[in-house]
Amino acid sequence: MPILHVCHLDGSEHRLEFETGLSVREVLDGTPYRVRAACGGTGACGACQVRWLAGEANPPGLAEYQKLTPEERAAGERLACQLRPRGDVRILLDHPAPPSRWRSIDPADLRPAPGARPELSQHVYGVAVDLGTIHIRVALWDRKRGRRIASRRGPNPQMSFGADVLNRLEAARDRPGRAEELARLARTAIIQAVRDILKRDVGEVTPMLAEIGQVVVVGNTAMLALLGGRGIAELLAPEHWQSRIEVRPREPEPWHRDWFMPNAEIILAPPVAGFIGSDLAADLIACALTDEPAPAMLIDVGTNSEIALWDGERLRLTSAPGGPAFEGVGIRHGMPAEDGAIHRVHAGPDGGFRLDTLAGEAARGYCGSGLADAIAVLLAAGRIKPSGRFASSPGPDGLRLDPDNPRTALTAADVDAFLRAKASLSAAMATLLAEAGLDWSDLARLVVCGAFGRQLDLDHARATGLLPALDPARIELLADASLAGCERALLSADGIEYFDRIASKSDTINLSWIEGFEDRYIDHLRLRPVPPLR
Amino acid sequence: MLERIIQAYNEAVFETDKEAAFAVVEAALAEGLTAEDIVFRVVIPAVEEMMSNITRDPDASLAQHFMTAQIAAEVTEKMLQRFAHPPEIIGRVVIGTARGDLHSLGKRIVMGCLKALMVDVTDLGVNVPAERFVEAAIEHDAQVIAVSAMMVHTSTGEDGARKVRALLAERGLEDRIRLVVGGAPYRFDEHLYQSVGADAWAPDGVSAGRVIVDLIRAVRAGKEAA
Repeated sequence: MPILHVCHLDGSEHRLEFETGLSVREVLDGTPYRVRAACGGTGACGACQVRWLAGEANPPGLAEYQKLTPEERAAGERLACQLRPRGDVRILLDHPAPPSRWRSIDPADLRPAPGARPELSQHVYGVAVDLGTIHIRVALWDRKRGRRIASRRGPNPQMSFGADVLNRLEAARDRPGRAEELARLARTAIIQAVRDILKRDVGEVTPMLAEIGQVVVVGNTAMLALLGGRGIAELLAPEHWQSRIEVRPREPEPWHRDWFMPNAEIILAPPVAGFIGSDLAADLIACALTDEPAPAMLIDVGTNSEIALWDGERLRLTSAPGGPAFEGVGIRHGMPAEDGAIHRVHAGPDGGFRLDTLAGEAARGYCGSGLADAIAVLLAAGRIKPSGRFASSPGPDGLRLDPDNPRTALTAADVDAFLRAKASLSAAMATLLAEAGLDWSDLARLVVCGAFGRQLDLDHARATGLLPALDPARIELLADASLAGCERALLSADGIEYFDRIASKSDTINLSWIEGFEDRYIDHLRLRPVPPLR
Repeated sequence: MLERIIQAYNEAVFETDKEAAFAVVEAALAEGLTAEDIVFRVVIPAVEEMMSNITRDPDASLAQHFMTAQIAAEVTEKMLQRFAHPPEIIGRVVIGTARGDLHSLGKRIVMGCLKALMVDVTDLGVNVPAERFVEAAIEHDAQVIAVSAMMVHTSTGEDGARKVRALLAERGLEDRIRLVVGGAPYRFDEHLYQSVGADAWAPDGVSAGRVIVDLIRAVRAGKEAA
């Protein structure tokens, strides 16, 4: 892929790989280095000036003749939304946008429009929200035409109350005012994302908010309970985890007021059960897992990993108690899949390693896929043993994969945390198969959702037993599937019924009550390909 | 010969290689070792060695704890079927996770070690009410109640170990039955076990085996003295 070299006013520089055909603005919108913008990239606002320094690109177009002075054009100024590089290009970001935690979702992660609502005559805009424990993803749609106007992803500000959902639920239950605060944080973040889209990709905000007719939010049950302020106490009691929990707010009116969306129907998509959220249902909707008679499995790897097995007639759903290692939590230098996260590791020459980071920044730590890769590469090199121990102890500070960067160190405890998380996930998958009387080879599809899945190296994942040794042609890696399922519901007249249909086909399984899960878990506590079912 | 078998078995356990450990046991039986020899001269010393090493080995992984306990329990179970006479049980324990807690894997390590050490273990499962712990301990004539709690609210809450202690006190059972706790929250505050009314705690599942065996011995010694 060609490289966009972004030079900053302070003299620093970043390298960004990009797909040919995208405008510079489109490339930058997915990174922390956004240009100023106030239209949808049509050239109408002229705010997105950058300076072209080197490399081949299209010549300036009509919009740039209208918006830039001859002096500016002579100096190399271009509009980022019109500038389309034809190879490696170097630019100066001389008018950066103020820092924001919102950025566009990588177009490669988005799915084509799943439908449209041509019958709508007013309030045609709609918002799809995937409210994750760590990240929030939002897309604004013209529902009538079936057109996605723009999308955003950013951190869930509730992270300041802990990465663990239980911590947030306990805080909401036990401290006065805390539930309201947590709900407000999530609601504010969602509306900020919508406003960021309207400001940068449409050009007007308040009048457009009034044209929004529907907002659909999917999420895990805890996130929805915290958003709606309902069901929090039930979620902390295990006896409710397999039942349906009401999370919809008793009084939605204040939301319309806070959001300036007087005409929006605000829908919190109903979770399947206490520990199976509507995010998993949205994954299933997005990949149409239940449309074919052949057995298929879906896993959504996140803070908790949820698993769905379709046997042709029923869905078995469960949540694997694996701990949040795949989100980088509990790992010495672990982090979410954010800028500077090591997301890929390759064996280099002379026993060294090559580390790929997100947004091309200096490595700040490992996200889940980077951790899985690093361990697989070290296992293949014999530097980590199948037991998960280092062949020779690296000491308490761990082994640096880049000797010059302390944040690339992996410790024995990190490998242990990964081992336990992967054992839990793969043992949970095996347990569902056994409950259904199926084997790995019966699976026509294995869909891996979540940011973690999208970055995964399949050979590495299979060698460590993170994923079963299925033919790669049967394995699909889908990022942002929850958002895609939410969008599908938003764009159909009976959208919310999708969620009820999934629930009516589903049996939820609590692995704590399943004989044999623990045995499998212990069998899977080695770094080796997934053992056969027994 | 025994030396070599012990070394090969310990190595397999250290490498968490269950298949290799069983191969060592099968070969040892073929060479003429008895099931009793294997349990008392190979498996139990290996568990005891792991117990004494685990706190000194900063790189010991939880995966190794699990496998040590699992391999020991599976080998012992298999060998017991071949024993000429049923072995002497050193004591009885009832174990479970606290009310509200479904994290069952920690207690599993404890159970594996205890079984190999010839302790009779009754597993009450997960989300166990305090009353059930006490009733089961009376029913099985257990010397120790072991409560596992992996979350802050289940380790310190009113429905867990605290309530078991209150019930033991209420029914005058405190001399006969000791209370031990384990789980992540106790590791962060080494005095927490006292404040929830426990007699002892252990920082990990393998050490818990040792702690529980010591408590059993103390109760039995107390009884004999009385």
